[in-house]
Amino acid sequence: MKGNDKSIAMEDEVRVPASPSRPDPRQPGQPIDSIVSAQHLTKKFGDETAVQDVSFEVPRASIFGFIGPSGSGKTTTVRLLTGVYTPTDGQVIVFDHSPAKFSQNERARLGYMPQLFVLYPTLTVWENLSFAASLYGMGLFRGKRLKDALDFVELYEHRGKLARNISGGMLRRLSLAATLVHEPELLFLDEPTAGIDPVLRRKFWDHFRDLKNQGRTIFITTQYVSEADNCDLVGVQNNGKLLLVDTPKGLRHHAYGGDMVDFRTTQEFDFQAEARLRSLPFVRAKTVRTGPNSMRIIVDQASTATPELMGWAQQQNIQVKAVEDYAPSFEDVFVELVRPEVNHA
Amino acid sequence: MRNFFRGIIRASSFFRKEIFEILRQPRLVATLVLGPFLILLIFGIGYRDQPRSLRTLFVAQANSAIAAADIQKYGESMGSLLIYAGVTADQNEALDQLRGGQVDLVIVEPADAISTIKNSQQAVITLYQHEIDPVQVGYIINLGRLFVGEVNKEVLRAFAVQAQKDAVTVHANLQEAHQNVSAMRQAVQSGDEVLAQRTQQDLASNVDIVSLAAGASLGLLDSLPQTDGTNGGNAGTVQSILTDLRQNANQLGSSTGNQAERLARIDKIDTDITDLDARLAEFQSIDPSIIVSPFRSETKSVANVQPTVSDFFAPAVLALLLQHLAVTFAALSIVRERNVGTMELFRVSPLSAAEALFGKYISYMLFGGVIAAILSALLVFALHVPMLGNWWYFALVLAAVLFTSLGIGFAISIVSQTDSQAVQYSMIILLASVFFSGFIMSLDLLWLPVRVISWMLPTTYGTLLLRDITLRGGAPNWTLLGGLIAIGVALMLVSWRLMRRLIGSSQ
Repeated sequence: MKGNDKSIAMEDEVRVPASPSRPDPRQPGQPIDSIVSAQHLTKKFGDETAVQDVSFEVPRASIFGFIGPSGSGKTTTVRLLTGVYTPTDGQVIVFDHSPAKFSQNERARLGYMPQLFVLYPTLTVWENLSFAASLYGMGLFRGKRLKDALDFVELYEHRGKLARNISGGMLRRLSLAATLVHEPELLFLDEPTAGIDPVLRRKFWDHFRDLKNQGRTIFITTQYVSEADNCDLVGVQNNGKLLLVDTPKGLRHHAYGGDMVDFRTTQEFDFQAEARLRSLPFVRAKTVRTGPNSMRIIVDQASTATPELMGWAQQQNIQVKAVEDYAPSFEDVFVELVRPEVNHA
Repeated sequence: MRNFFRGIIRASSFFRKEIFEILRQPRLVATLVLGPFLILLIFGIGYRDQPRSLRTLFVAQANSAIAAADIQKYGESMGSLLIYAGVTADQNEALDQLRGGQVDLVIVEPADAISTIKNSQQAVITLYQHEIDPVQVGYIINLGRLFVGEVNKEVLRAFAVQAQKDAVTVHANLQEAHQNVSAMRQAVQSGDEVLAQRTQQDLASNVDIVSLAAGASLGLLDSLPQTDGTNGGNAGTVQSILTDLRQNANQLGSSTGNQAERLARIDKIDTDITDLDARLAEFQSIDPSIIVSPFRSETKSVANVQPTVSDFFAPAVLALLLQHLAVTFAALSIVRERNVGTMELFRVSPLSAAEALFGKYISYMLFGGVIAAILSALLVFALHVPMLGNWWYFALVLAAVLFTSLGIGFAISIVSQTDSQAVQYSMIILLASVFFSGFIMSLDLLWLPVRVISWMLPTTYGTLLLRDITLRGGAPNWTLLGGLIAIGVALMLVSWRLMRRLIGSSQ
């Protein structure tokens, strides 16, 4: 009964506030202009909770990455946002409406690439793409757009092949072409780069950024956490819970409790100097020696810490070779972020 | 308006998709066209419109009323229906042969037929069979009736033959009576009372003999108009002549009337004797077989064509095939979309349930229409199945059968979770159609409430309507056609509602 009550409440409250008060993490102090809003989203399948109390907002004209391990609830979240699933609890607002109440015109503004290939194995690449274009009402003079989409995913030469006769990676590319062909305003891409070679992945991300620059919004899930760097905002999902939403830089900061800088000197660093360095007020306790004369230090803010480190070195008669920001890999960041969850479990 | 055109484009996506997918399976298309054609062709060649011949062994006791030679004659009188396999006195041995499949039928003659008949009871001829097919059992029961009819006819024929032989004696008596009458007339005219009395006694004696003998013989002849029923007024004419004859002959002896009255009576007797003699001659000239079986039936059709069995089945095969094709294709269509995962894509896209369904209806209607056109052309021009009616009516009925069958298929498809389920449901519809649609037996043989199932199946309507058009050359029964289309519309609405749940709402 609780679920039903919530559903009714959700239908009654289909509009988001005109001026959201939530700040945009990308531009602190600016209110977020969200195109997608999820509030306390929960989805249960029987006794199993796939998504639990997830809240976030996707700013218009941004790339929102949703990262997490397999089974973390990414696909369920995408299905909730696209209206394939109805939330057990909470609400979703897309284009100022609940996806369950979308008109045909609003649906036409969406592009959705499911995680698995869902087109027809007995149709050719071209026919599948043409079918997808027709689904979105694209007229008869759409040949150039189909060609461009296939060119982009490098499948135009394979347009006459049956889908069942092409590789898994090619099927992903065909799915992506089918999602992009009608030039949607808001894209939900569920692991679009899975099984794609690195060169083409780079091309995809370049294209996603182009789309963003054209004012389109992309909600993208990926298991390649390194791809989070390409996003404006990243949500980290684990075990159905959203751990954090932040910019890539913010995530790193959050993961390690500050920014990381590599501090390199011309002479060997002794233990006394290391202890004095660690005791500085803007340096976090955790430092890592990366060589005889280099250390990786976590500081509150890299921008302010660098001149202060230079000044301290001068006082200590230590000749500094370089002080550089260090961006840890997102694999490491992700492990750090989910570590408390894993430890708790 | 723009949304309308986009809707058309969305629906057309299914149209093209379904056609492409079907055309990628040329063997399937060939099977759909050539399969039924070849079945009908082979059936037409192989079907023999002849009743089954039964190897029949007779059982008759040594003291049987029917002689062994007669038994063989009776068996052979059934033509090719019975193959005479001999006669035996051992019933158990005959039944063992029946169980062993050496003979198909055992006919046991009644042991004491004469005494049974004398007790005014029918003697029973028993037929033993070893069939499990109810149709064959019915055939043997009818064959038994025919056989007993033949035996009865043979008995009556023998009786008629004997009566005709007896008629020769009657004729001699009548000639003698005729001479008595001439002598009587002369005696009365000459006033010779002694001669008149003596001649009268001879005449009365001959008339009595004629009455006894001719009564039995001519009674058979008299019964012919009675059987007809149209000449009931003449019934008993021979009997009344004989009665008059006897009365007049007796009254001549006791009469004290004047000469003129006596001569008039003699003239009447003379006329009656002549009449009887003529009738007797007529009786003798008729074939005894005709006397005992004076009528036979002859059936003629007022239809313009007399279809063969394969002609009769061709419209039903066409209707059944189209129904099965449409139900199966439609049943697999949506369940496959669900299994492939495209339903998820549809739910997010602007596609509506009506557009998806419309596209699928159009594509399968077109495909089914092409198959129906090719098959119909093969049936009419290659197998020479009669086509007496209007081709447009024919096409209209086929379209209605396809439309309604697709509705059944889509409804199945939406409620099925897997391909196997959809196929199973389709097969059940096929099986129901074979039994309840009038395909193998007339609807009249079904209990009325069970016919509700029949009237839910497109094949029932299709078979009746197509037979009317092709074999009678008439217009379709508009009530039937309207009923078929109404079911199709109802199914379309149900499918649309179910499809909306699949495409239009979240899980």
